[in-house]
Amino acid sequence: MPKYSMAVDLERCQGCRACMTACKVENNTVVSNNWMYVFRFEEGSYPETEMSFLPRQCQHCDNAPCAKVCPVGARFKREDGIVLTDSDRCIGCRYCELACPYGVNYYNWQKPEKGQYDIVDWHDDDIQSATGGAIPPYRNPDLDELYGEEQRRTAGGGHAKGVIEKCTFCVHRVEKGLDPACADTCPTDALIFGDIEDPESPISLYLKDQSPWQLLEEAGTKPNVYYIGGKPPNKELKEIERPKATV
Amino acid sequence: MLKVNRRKFVKGSTTVAGGAVVADKFLFGSLSGVTAAQSPEVATGVEDFVATTCWIGKQDCGMIARRIDGRVVKFEGNPTNPRNVGTLCPKGQAQIQALYDPNRVKWPLVRTNEKGVSGQWRRASWDEALDMVADAVSEVRARNPKLVLWQKGRSKAKDFYDDAFVKSIGSSKLGHGAFCSDVGYRALEYTLGTHAVLHPDFRYCNYMLSWGWNITNAGGNKFCWLTWPRHMVKARERGMKIAHLDPRLRSAGPFADTWLPIRPGTDLAMALAICHELIELGHLDRPYLSTHTNAAMLVKPDGMIAKVTVGEGEEATEVGLVWDEESGTAVPFGEVENPALEGEFEVDGETVKPGFQLFKEQVEQNTPEWAAGVTGLDAAEIAKVAREFGENAQIGSTIVVDGVEVPYRPVGIMAYHMAQQELGFQTLRAMTMVSMLVGAIGAAGGQLSDFTWKIHKNYAKFEKFTVEDPPYDFVLNNSKYFPINTGHPGMVAKVMNDPERYGVEELPEVAILHMVNPLNSFPSQKEYLESYHKFKFVAVVSPWLSETADYFADVVLPAATIEKYEGPISATDQYVDAKTLRIPPMEPLFESKGEIDIYMDLCEKIGVLFGDEGYISVVNKELKLVDTEFALPLDEKPVVRDIFDRWSRAQGIEEGIEFFEDPDNGTWVKGPVSPDKIYGYVADPPFGGALHRFYGESLLDAQNQMKEKGAEEIYWQDYVALPAWRDMIMDSSPSEYEFYLISYHQIEHKQARTSFVPMLAELAPGARLDINPESARRLGIGDGDTVTVESQNAVTGETRSLVTEATYCEAIRPDSVAMPHHFGMWTHPQNEGQGASANEIYFMGEGYMTNTADQTFHVKVKVTKGSEA
Repeated sequence: MPKYSMAVDLERCQGCRACMTACKVENNTVVSNNWMYVFRFEEGSYPETEMSFLPRQCQHCDNAPCAKVCPVGARFKREDGIVLTDSDRCIGCRYCELACPYGVNYYNWQKPEKGQYDIVDWHDDDIQSATGGAIPPYRNPDLDELYGEEQRRTAGGGHAKGVIEKCTFCVHRVEKGLDPACADTCPTDALIFGDIEDPESPISLYLKDQSPWQLLEEAGTKPNVYYIGGKPPNKELKEIERPKATV
Repeated sequence: MLKVNRRKFVKGSTTVAGGAVVADKFLFGSLSGVTAAQSPEVATGVEDFVATTCWIGKQDCGMIARRIDGRVVKFEGNPTNPRNVGTLCPKGQAQIQALYDPNRVKWPLVRTNEKGVSGQWRRASWDEALDMVADAVSEVRARNPKLVLWQKGRSKAKDFYDDAFVKSIGSSKLGHGAFCSDVGYRALEYTLGTHAVLHPDFRYCNYMLSWGWNITNAGGNKFCWLTWPRHMVKARERGMKIAHLDPRLRSAGPFADTWLPIRPGTDLAMALAICHELIELGHLDRPYLSTHTNAAMLVKPDGMIAKVTVGEGEEATEVGLVWDEESGTAVPFGEVENPALEGEFEVDGETVKPGFQLFKEQVEQNTPEWAAGVTGLDAAEIAKVAREFGENAQIGSTIVVDGVEVPYRPVGIMAYHMAQQELGFQTLRAMTMVSMLVGAIGAAGGQLSDFTWKIHKNYAKFEKFTVEDPPYDFVLNNSKYFPINTGHPGMVAKVMNDPERYGVEELPEVAILHMVNPLNSFPSQKEYLESYHKFKFVAVVSPWLSETADYFADVVLPAATIEKYEGPISATDQYVDAKTLRIPPMEPLFESKGEIDIYMDLCEKIGVLFGDEGYISVVNKELKLVDTEFALPLDEKPVVRDIFDRWSRAQGIEEGIEFFEDPDNGTWVKGPVSPDKIYGYVADPPFGGALHRFYGESLLDAQNQMKEKGAEEIYWQDYVALPAWRDMIMDSSPSEYEFYLISYHQIEHKQARTSFVPMLAELAPGARLDINPESARRLGIGDGDTVTVESQNAVTGETRSLVTEATYCEAIRPDSVAMPHHFGMWTHPQNEGQGASANEIYFMGEGYMTNTADQTFHVKVKVTKGSEA
């Protein structure tokens, strides 16, 4: 059984946020729900100033606190390591959001259509006739499918109001043998995805002679995202260039 | 996980959920509003893929469009394209929202109200709209075709637009280069003969001066953002070090090993100080300087090179003299191997010195201590960078690349848009001379510029300038103002507003605007607002209603975005040669059309589509189809896909256009670029046959001619043979204008064509003023406060202001403030509240231009808390 993990090479990351837009198009996530998020940090005082970038998504923990607290078994960890949310079961209690130390759970506050960047009117007749009425026009049908041995609806399609959601490692792509959208698009190949149990997989080979670190190792969550280079974030960092928050 | 070929994996498979409403969701979530694609009877969920090319950015990355029932649901990088190797930037991903934007111009529009205010429009048929444009063009063409002006921001199929359309109607044309990097191009064309700016050979470079390179946000020489960072990351993993010169650190992010926060506009002083140190420390490649440059040529007291006539009759040419130390005589260049670079000699009773000697004497004063006073940097840091550059150059060494021995100088400079500053031309000359001194030009690991050593036509043209008397054309070509002339749209606006002042008699009367939005993207609005009023007719070809169209278009012709055939497009990453095409992943939305179709329709109506000099004929020439079996018939209007099919077959691609449409291909990879194409030393002839102009004799000659014609000092002062520092004009603004304003590019946006893409506007939502907290606190300005930024024109005294939000930024010089340049638009609903563009308070014209008619992007400003209004 594979164990899916991701390496994030901060010596390569340019903080460009292509992973964020790739994730949003692939997963049709709504405004402000950034399953992948890239921090841009500034530290120190002029001229002793440093800058750094930090991509952060669900850490797909082995000891996932979110799964433990879910009262309805909607949040669960698959045998291949991917932590998923069964959107059919989720009751929107947000316990997972409180339990997770990484801040990667997003609650759908709005009706899905409203959140789909409705600053532009996707209901426009000419757009509707060109796209068969899909909203957003790039709506990905794969997200509505059933996945895994469990055959559960876990790819996050629909983004129904009142349901929690987060990074799925693009389970719908992984099951086709593709990389998650973020890793696929990364312009500097800073995101490396794969089966960490397979010593010949690209991620295992990549991590072989490295000394990766993990986010909040002390929390005991046993994350499956490995960082190379840079350093763990600290309180001295000032976040710059935040996206516009609309929720 | 291995990257499997997704097309092979899933090609032809179907996904059944395309039209299915997920009933289970009713249990826990509200499904109202979730709209599934397609009605059940047409929803088959058929997935397929089409290869295409990104449209939204500069460098045209290869893409694969994933489609469901013909509807594009995602763009991904094409792994076969060397330029982006399967990856895409944030804009490439988000452009799908631009494709489906219902705020695009859907059908041809005809203005119904007066110009100079926000437009009111009526829907027109293509036939009517094209007739109106054709009539306006034909009326002016009959008198003088040059009075039709085709103005572009970006052209994504030069053969079809800049060449075929412009040549077949005989119009004038203007580009965006005067706001981009053209002054750098001119400096390099002058100095090396190459049509480019500067970048290092990342494959072998060990030490790079990242000189104003916005590493993590923007483009670079020739490419856009994505390819250079890929090269840079690999080079750093190999051990390359980066010294970064920029008033802001944000550009380099964590990629600067050394940050030198240089004062805006003082890069020339820095370059001269590096030259000073390299000469002082003896880091000089004498064989290169004496063989491949004119540095050994003997300069007379009047600044002209001493020459002799070699050969007779028609063969006779003038050749510069050099000093042969062995015989103690002056001999024609090329006759001896190691002529003197230093010393003082007598020739024909005159005291002469090699150009290098003059430069050495001139930069004697340009010590690191002197430069520290100008640049605001630490003298020891300047000296350290110079020393590291010189030591890393490993002068005299060679390496073998692909079986060819090449001089090895693993040091180089990356510089691009930073060229656009008051002293830009001489700055780029001096920076190039830094690399020349150590022999790094065209060396492995060293200084590269263009991707070829083919010499640009301007190299020969710049050998001798002819400064003419008025009347001048409206671009001021060959004028006493700008003997080197980039073609500055703002200068054209100034000329249109006051032709007498510049000795111009004929002004353009009709404008066709192609993917350009001067009112927003170029500094400064004021001149355009006046000049566009003077056009009798303005046609705009654009997917969106640009601000310029809103105020001045008579007719707007809706162009498609990515959904069109366009090309041929280079797909090289500099080391692998490749070509591709843009393929429509869908039919053009609404009533939009690809520009090739639009121009063919227009040419047909004007009567210049067919025949020997017609549009089709020029296309045949530009695509090199003439005298091949694939040439387009000159009497038949072609289908655009068929043109590219013929071009593909003419390249020997048997499948024709289908090869480029095929998602398993899409890129015609021609193979590795050979060392003789990359490295100037081993090119045949070396450096394309150009003798590098270390000493700029013809610049001084131009100065003399300009003075004779009565040009003022502000025009001729930078026409000097050797780069020399002078005080900047903007520094004579009153001292209350204490900050330098600079503007910058953010990775999420591309000029004026992305700020309305919702996903990108979410990530980079609007204007701000980056200010050092220490400076801000002194002025009582808090983080997030509203501030007024007022600029002052040191020549005219005019002031301009905008209101924005202050953002504390530690990583910026305390005497500089910075703004992104992507905002200030108003026609799209998404633009609301995004704030102002720095372009609104820059100035154009004397004092804020280079000696080559290029825009500078620096101005002194004062910042006050609150909004004046």
